[in-house]
Amino acid sequence: MSWSCVIVEDLQVAADYLAKCCEKSGQVEVKAHFTNVAEALEYLNKHSVDILFLDVEMPGASGFELLDQLAYFPKVFLTTSKSEYAYDAFEYNVTDFLKKPFTFQRFQEALNKLTQSGGDNNISSTAADHIFIKSDGKLVRLNNDDILFIESMGDYVKFVTPDKKYITHNTIKNLEEKVNRQYFIKVHRSYIINITKIDDIRENDLYIKGHEIPVSKAHKQDVLKRLNIL
Amino acid sequence: MEPNSFSKKFIFNEKIDSDYLYGLYADDYVYIEEVFATTLQHFDADFERLKAAWEEGNLHDLKKAAHKLKPTFGFAGLTAVQEQLKQFEDLCQNSTSTAQLKSDYTRIVTTLAESKDLIASEYQKLKVFNANPL
Repeated sequence: MSWSCVIVEDLQVAADYLAKCCEKSGQVEVKAHFTNVAEALEYLNKHSVDILFLDVEMPGASGFELLDQLAYFPKVFLTTSKSEYAYDAFEYNVTDFLKKPFTFQRFQEALNKLTQSGGDNNISSTAADHIFIKSDGKLVRLNNDDILFIESMGDYVKFVTPDKKYITHNTIKNLEEKVNRQYFIKVHRSYIINITKIDDIRENDLYIKGHEIPVSKAHKQDVLKRLNIL
Repeated sequence: MEPNSFSKKFIFNEKIDSDYLYGLYADDYVYIEEVFATTLQHFDADFERLKAAWEEGNLHDLKKAAHKLKPTFGFAGLTAVQEQLKQFEDLCQNSTSTAQLKSDYTRIVTTLAESKDLIASEYQKLKVFNANPL
């Protein structure tokens, strides 16, 4: 299996069919199925998955409200029977829009978009030049080049840019898998830094725009290997 | 996979779009039986929700109930019913009160009840078909 997924769908026959498509593809493992947003959100904020198959209209909150509250960004496939959501789908940067009922061939085409956009089986945001984070009730786009480093704050992390700090509900462990590794490297259990922003390194600390960041023994060699040392 | 290449072929009721069903499930008749069973298992609750919304004059819930029922019939190959539900959902969207929808509602409720009976009957026939290995 290449990818893990969660299905959020209140129509049982549709959820079953989707699970069958996942199984048939041999590429997607269904970790859980939820029929409402609240339960799905609770699970998703504790368990990171690669793909989210998400219905839009469900009892209680909508699929888009789930995306608003999610602390990270799996690849999202909207599954709905209404094409009117296409604009919102675009706004939320979803990977594809599967209009129910869809054929297995259409499902497979949707999965193919992951490999086309992400390269190989890497479907996290690691190939992107930006990330979106949820901060102060809104989705904020941060370009990789603007992020100096990311610091752990327990159940939260702080994204530090030259002129602003953004705090969001997430963990360094989860982000390690999601950030673009061309730019970012973990240097300590509490820090991921932008490798292109390092000003200097002294013993077990590095400096980025005046911020002193510890480098653990376990990560020091990895950091040094990434530097262009003459 | 083309229906002509199936090793055995079930003859669906003419109201069921068999080409559409084969497009979804090919000749996996056991799975189609499962789809019909799941549809029947959940139909009553969803149908009751539609009727309750009508009784309450709640246009928003009426539209939501129609929206949920819509793909159910697509999965069962009743594409004409799916389309009828889509039109009803659109009518709900563009109406200001349920009173404007009385004749459409009566028509859709009749269609849904008949469709449930049809799926139940096809389900029974499929069960027999799938139980027969030849």
